[in-house]
Amino acid sequence: MNRDCCTTNVATPAVTVRDVNVQLAGQNVLSNVNADFPTGELTALIGPNGAGKTTLLKVLLNQLPHTGQVRFTQINGHTPRIGYVPQSLDFDRGAPIRVIDVMCSQLQHRALWLGISSSARKAAAAALDRIGASKLLDRRLGQLSGGELQRVLLAMALLLQPDILLLDEPVAGVDMAGVGMFCDILAQLQRELKCTMILVSHDMSVTTAHASYVVCMNKTVHCQGRTIDTLTPENLQAIYGPLAALHHHAHSHEGAGHSHGAHDHPDLHGHHHNH
Amino acid sequence: MSGPLDAFYSSLRSLLPFDWAQPAFMLNALLIVLVLAPICAAMGVKVVNNRMAFFSDAISHSAFTGVVLGYLLVPLAARSYPNIQHWDLILPPLTLAVFGVAVGAGITAVRHRTTLPTDTVIGVFFASVIALGIAVISRNNLRGDFERYLYGSIVIAGRIDVLITWSLAAVVLLFLALSFNRLMLIALNESLARSRGIATTAFDYAFSALLALVVTFSIRTVGLLLVTAMLVVPAAAARNIARSAGGMFWWAVAFGLASGLTGLIISFYADTPAGATIILLAAVCFIASMLASAVRPRAAA
Repeated sequence: MNRDCCTTNVATPAVTVRDVNVQLAGQNVLSNVNADFPTGELTALIGPNGAGKTTLLKVLLNQLPHTGQVRFTQINGHTPRIGYVPQSLDFDRGAPIRVIDVMCSQLQHRALWLGISSSARKAAAAALDRIGASKLLDRRLGQLSGGELQRVLLAMALLLQPDILLLDEPVAGVDMAGVGMFCDILAQLQRELKCTMILVSHDMSVTTAHASYVVCMNKTVHCQGRTIDTLTPENLQAIYGPLAALHHHAHSHEGAGHSHGAHDHPDLHGHHHNH
Repeated sequence: MSGPLDAFYSSLRSLLPFDWAQPAFMLNALLIVLVLAPICAAMGVKVVNNRMAFFSDAISHSAFTGVVLGYLLVPLAARSYPNIQHWDLILPPLTLAVFGVAVGAGITAVRHRTTLPTDTVIGVFFASVIALGIAVISRNNLRGDFERYLYGSIVIAGRIDVLITWSLAAVVLLFLALSFNRLMLIALNESLARSRGIATTAFDYAFSALLALVVTFSIRTVGLLLVTAMLVVPAAAARNIARSAGGMFWWAVAFGLASGLTGLIISFYADTPAGATIILLAAVCFIASMLASAVRPRAAA
């Protein structure tokens, strides 16, 4: 039934997902997922809690057993590099671990206790600088706000020079100013790097304002397509249930910085925040 | 024993012209503590940051059952190989190490295959393994030097113990030099580490096995009741005052070494058990580090 809804054929998909099924503890977490993620665009993967959004991300990372097919389009003859930005880190907030320690643990093989190499330090500083977060370099991880931590994780992913960025709920638990700043950074990166971004979100305002493409899912993909065509009240109701219209409406009014709702067809590219 | 080793010991004696450094058992103890204390502290950094203190406790307590199984096998081995003497000295330490690593691997395997919280998995293993040990002891009326393993006794360590400890230390040092950064990424977010091409499961098993080995070897020094403290206390003190991940490593090693050496020397004069004295001194380091961090002006969060 959902096939005829809006299965769009993306001209140049970076990732094609076909008939993907995931079972965890005997339960279908994903069933018959079909989705295309267009190259060089920001796609929002939306759906209610427990819809399997993060599960699909793990499938794309090839970290979960699944059936079906996930195909990455080759870029200049090589498999695309994937930069994964997790939702959070699990650490003791009082531990003496600095931002530079975490970044260099990815950059250098030499153990941190044998010293941080000057080239690793430079690379880490440059990655933070690119997203306007250079002042975070020597801060402790435990002192960062949610938004700052997300920017550090994004910088770490950028160090890999990714062709595809996978972001798992990057703005969950981040305050409004932080959300706005993070979205601006994403938009800027999108312009500069032209890389494919797939962002898991349940926040409608972020999705509508920044994503050019949406995949709506709840265990399976209900619809996908250009944001303007896809985020209709009917489709939202299909995945979020009868309260969706209300939920969606409320979101489009909250926060002046994100004044666009799906109803008034947001200006997707020239959007700016009023901080 | 061998000539060059004797020469080494006598030059060590002349290098350290103190009462405590003259008996052979103290020299062996010194050589063991010199590497074991910093190695435990260095592994302790990972134990503290990865919240594995309970895991270490489970390994050390299940070591009791490893020792019991060793004593159970002694008569069997003595019957099969009557020419070899002292099976009661050879087997228990061996089964202790093997059993410790097996329990560590078992906990890690179950943790990977269930959604149960880690401390629940450890709790189940912990209790079942000790119950097994108690059941075997009383059914077979086993007699053995269990106290040696409960409280530890470094002063009866021989040159072979020194050799084993130094080899283990070399392995641990190499491991921590090669995988410190990757272990940190794994602890922060396993999916992130995997997406960066790290074989997280293999590292998890390797770290658990090595930690189990360190724990089981340290039991002979400080006893199974105190071994976790040997790992955790210096690292916890280091956490209080270090300003970076690398700094925490070196502070922990320094605290481990300082408490190990002074603890050993004090135990000689005060006639206290070396293991307990070392832990007490590590606790003093911990208190000092608490005071230091309380006094130091904090950067605004």
